[in-house]
Amino acid sequence: MAQPIAGIQKGCALECRGVTYRLPSGTALVSDLNLTVARGETLVLLGRSGSGKTTTLKLFNRLLEPSDGEIFIAGRPSSAWDPIQLRRGIGYVIQDAGLFPHWSVERNVALVPQLEHWPEERIRARVKEMLELVGLPPAEFATRRPSELSGGQRQRVGVARALAADQPILLMDEPFGALDPVTRAELQREFRVLASRLEKTIVFVTHDVREALFLGTRIALLAGGRLAGVHAREEFLNATEPEVRAFVASLQLSRGDEEVR
Amino acid sequence: MSQRSTFAHRSCLCLSRGVLLLLASLLLTAAGCRTRRGETIVVGSKNFTEQIVLAELFAQQIEAHSALHVERRVNLGGTLLCHQALVSGKIDLYPEYTGTAFTAILKESPRLGQTAADTFRVVREEYPDRFDVEVLPPLGFNNTFAIVVRGDDAARLHLRKVSDIAAYTPKWRAGFGYEFMERPDGYRGWMAAYGLHFLGAPRILDLGLLYRALADRQVDIVAGNATDGLIAALGMVTLEDDRHYFPPYEAVPLVRRATLDKHPETGVALKELAGKISEEEMRRMNYAVDGEHRDPTEVVRAFREAKGL
Amino acid sequence: MNWYDFLLRNRGEVLERTAEHIGLVAAAMAIALAIGLPLGIALVRRVTLQRWVLAVANVVQTIPSLALFGFLIPVPWIGGVGASTAIVALALYALLPILRNTCTGITGVDAAVIESARGMGMTPQQVLWQVELPLAAPVLLAGIRVATVISVGITTIAAAIGAGGLGVFIFRGVAMVNNQVILAGAIPAALLAVLADFGLGVVQRRLATR
Repeated sequence: MAQPIAGIQKGCALECRGVTYRLPSGTALVSDLNLTVARGETLVLLGRSGSGKTTTLKLFNRLLEPSDGEIFIAGRPSSAWDPIQLRRGIGYVIQDAGLFPHWSVERNVALVPQLEHWPEERIRARVKEMLELVGLPPAEFATRRPSELSGGQRQRVGVARALAADQPILLMDEPFGALDPVTRAELQREFRVLASRLEKTIVFVTHDVREALFLGTRIALLAGGRLAGVHAREEFLNATEPEVRAFVASLQLSRGDEEVR
Repeated sequence: MSQRSTFAHRSCLCLSRGVLLLLASLLLTAAGCRTRRGETIVVGSKNFTEQIVLAELFAQQIEAHSALHVERRVNLGGTLLCHQALVSGKIDLYPEYTGTAFTAILKESPRLGQTAADTFRVVREEYPDRFDVEVLPPLGFNNTFAIVVRGDDAARLHLRKVSDIAAYTPKWRAGFGYEFMERPDGYRGWMAAYGLHFLGAPRILDLGLLYRALADRQVDIVAGNATDGLIAALGMVTLEDDRHYFPPYEAVPLVRRATLDKHPETGVALKELAGKISEEEMRRMNYAVDGEHRDPTEVVRAFREAKGL
Repeated sequence: MNWYDFLLRNRGEVLERTAEHIGLVAAAMAIALAIGLPLGIALVRRVTLQRWVLAVANVVQTIPSLALFGFLIPVPWIGGVGASTAIVALALYALLPILRNTCTGITGVDAAVIESARGMGMTPQQVLWQVELPLAAPVLLAGIRVATVISVGITTIAAAIGAGGLGVFIFRGVAMVNNQVILAGAIPAALLAVLADFGLGVVQRRLATR
């Protein structure tokens, strides 16, 4: 069943080499970024609003093109990939899921397999499998519209859609950011299990340090468009960079609160 | 979802407003329905240049002879609108033509060769009884239908009178206005009186577009009005109505009787205009506005000065 | 004589004029759609150009129809005297609501939906046809609805340039100083407008609740 799309192999790696992204006005959103994401790991891009996390994510699937430097996907420069084929090999989940409101859950999940012209039967089986994987019984949910789902359910559909073509890479942009704390914790738990089981290369953007510590195998902290430090989950709390310390401090300040933002 | 339904809702609102507007304008109820003020007198006119010039002339004349405030409500569509506005008191006076009043309003059929005096007498006698409207003495010119051809055709084919054209009309396309087509003194009788045939059915156009269509050779002959300033300005030629088919169309002021009773000075002022405007003078004023794009107020002021009014 | 007596007595011509009227509206709308939809789509991402084009369309809408006919008479091919001039003028009038709603409809589609569509590997064509246009459809249709109803109304002016339609009765009635004749044109035209509004409204609601 699992089949590489467009030549992207399972568990491939991502790499940024000296990547800068500037707006036409000249303002740099990301500056001189050097970063590797190993195959099968979950790298969290952590940072405050405007630190360049989302920009970095969009550089990976060529929604944005670097102004300087180069990005390598599975060892090949991103500019050498056909952007459409590349994106079909990379799952993409954003806040509020970005589901198509005029399509049923089923059709949303089937998006990339359909774009890739899978046979009908195979698509149907795959959609069923994916919905079960994310905990939405197909009999109940397949024909619903996104507007008939709760926020948590929509996000589950978003994940199912990003996994449907068995994409080896998954880009996630604050996927759980808009959910209530209880639903968020639930999805985070389930997603951690899923991630370790599926062996995907995952880049996960968040501003929530707790989420970063819970989901990331490594955490890359971005500040003002620059990389302030990359640490394994276990080392993050003891890191010495001032930006990292600030995040850790915020964690300690809010300890005891029900919710950490 | 909610955004889309707001869109739909908004468009519904503006649609029903559009439909209302359409109904209102089509039913011609928007003929100027504002309430009247005490010492104001309202001069109306139809929607072509000569009417606008005449209305301005009436207005200046009344202003010069009274302390009344004169409101100009010009461009009121056609004969029907002006007549209804006058009878219902939305306007106090407007310029009309005896032949139009005779045929279009009084629904009489003109006899062939009916004189200007005959026509005026009938109109002057009928209007007060039927509409409480007084017909004041004619201004002097006769704005009858004018059968117009291009100057080059007239020169090439030696056309002077309508009876000269019968040999050519089977190859000509005609352009007429709705009024000429429908009036009892218009198209049908005229074709019969001169024994004419045209290439195909006449193109029926708005009066304002006739001369443009003629100049652009879309049609070869049109029926306009004798005093249209554009006839000379575009180098066109009016053919003489040598069989005297068209009844006279002398311009007269039509005034509500109630207005004359309340403000007799209005009648005095307007009667001073009797016989003051020749066809040539009217044509020149029309051209000053149409061809030279001068302001009707200016044109009328200059005319009144020249005439010592 | 009542206006409906007049209608009955002249039902042959009334039907013929109604058919002419519908034909003029249909032709004008077909042209306006054929130009307005692709142009609107092309202008969605060209904000400055869009502003200029909409401004021009706005100005066109303020030109009185008789003046517009006057401009068009000498234009070869599309001008002259008759139906073609009327259709061109009517199409120009219908263009603005279609253009504007195409632009606003597509611009109004949730940016997150577009971003995920692109991010999942849809081609620009696929994004347009499978995402943007279906989601903008209710707004597009609202524009088409406005344009159609406006067209039904202003097509009465086509009679001024010899193109026929129900306006013939209105012009004829005005010339004859006869209210019955005017109403014989005005009432069917108003009914047509209401019918078009209602029919497209039903389609629009169905799209919106889908």
